[in-house]
Amino acid sequence: MARGDAEFVEFARAASGRLVHAAFLMTGDHHRAEDAAQTALARTYASWSRIRENDAYGYARSVLVNHLVDGWRRPIREYPTEDVPDRHGDDVADEVATRRWLLAILGTLSPRERAIVVLRYYFDLPEAQVARELGVSVGTVKSTSSRALEKLRGVEAAAPEGTRR
Amino acid sequence: MNEADRLRAAMRVGERSGHGVLDLDAVLRQGRRLRRRRRLTGAGAAALALAVVVGVPVAVRSAGAPQRPAAPAAQPAAGATGHPSGPTAGPTATAAPTPVATDAAPPEPLGDVVRSGIRYGAEERVFYVVPVDVPHLPGVTIGLMAGRRTADGGLAPDFLVNDVVGDDRRDGFHEIGYDQSGPHPTRPLVPAFGYFVGPAERIVGTVDGRQVAARLVRWSEDPRVVIFWFDPAVLPPGVRLDGIAAHDARGRRL
Repeated sequence: MARGDAEFVEFARAASGRLVHAAFLMTGDHHRAEDAAQTALARTYASWSRIRENDAYGYARSVLVNHLVDGWRRPIREYPTEDVPDRHGDDVADEVATRRWLLAILGTLSPRERAIVVLRYYFDLPEAQVARELGVSVGTVKSTSSRALEKLRGVEAAAPEGTRR
Repeated sequence: MNEADRLRAAMRVGERSGHGVLDLDAVLRQGRRLRRRRRLTGAGAAALALAVVVGVPVAVRSAGAPQRPAAPAAQPAAGATGHPSGPTAGPTATAAPTPVATDAAPPEPLGDVVRSGIRYGAEERVFYVVPVDVPHLPGVTIGLMAGRRTADGGLAPDFLVNDVVGDDRRDGFHEIGYDQSGPHPTRPLVPAFGYFVGPAERIVGTVDGRQVAARLVRWSEDPRVVIFWFDPAVLPPGVRLDGIAAHDARGRRL
């Protein structure tokens, strides 16, 4: 394996978990999330010689999010999966409840708004960087983030006691 | 824990390590295929651009700077890419978007620089007309640049579009700039933009069956030239319109 390829594989191993998870937050679909992360990493690999010295992770993240914003226009919903996390009893129940609660919030947003929320609160990017990566204004990022938090309050108020975080 | 922190914590639930999640051999195969395709597409696009512009690259002429050729057109001419029939989102004349060579002396704006209100931190997206020199095409003397007003007040050029046949002041739509270069480490993506010549008061594009309105500003040097752009929140950069129409003050289609 060429040195560049070995470097890329190491990078991909380190980055793929977060990329897949971010894609899941944007689609609610494990299989689509893996496809999207694979596409983003393949595009990153195709440009590896140009970006390896720069922010390769930022490049992959940006490709992923824009790919999903442009290509994933279906409403978010959680698909059944046999992929049960390797945990016990309450942990699994907690995780499922949290995921449903979260997808209920994200499901009320458009793909672009979801991307803003994921970049802002999952990747912890500053508002200006989120705006730059999505090609929107900082004002749009601020208003969307604020709307997402407002929806969070609404969903939380309506949620049964057991699912409140 | 406040709401933002709760949202952050909830988003991390269920996160798994990347090991074994993806088939990295498949990623490498897909990446290699993409790389090969890009090389082929690049060669094809260059050949097409040569055919369209009769083998002459567009040169950006900066005031006070020597003429130098800009980068050759990297995308096929819009008129040759098979737009759907009916209302077209491309120009009626064939034209080629031209990426700006990053080492070129920045072209000076002709007339006012149009502020878009689209901000990237301390920078703002702006549009301005620049002189272009297309040999054997005396009717094309201007192009439209999408740039950024930087924090120190300077102008950073990002994306230039210009006609490569005909007359740059004929009535109707001219080249529309679609930034399909993908994520770039040093600049934000450019919203779809272009100019229309005529008494347009409203410009509306259609994409995926919905209508999106453009923002309009008349060029200070020739009020018949209407510079327009689409807010990235309503039309993501790089997404091609299915159609576009201009209307006058009385709502008549132009």
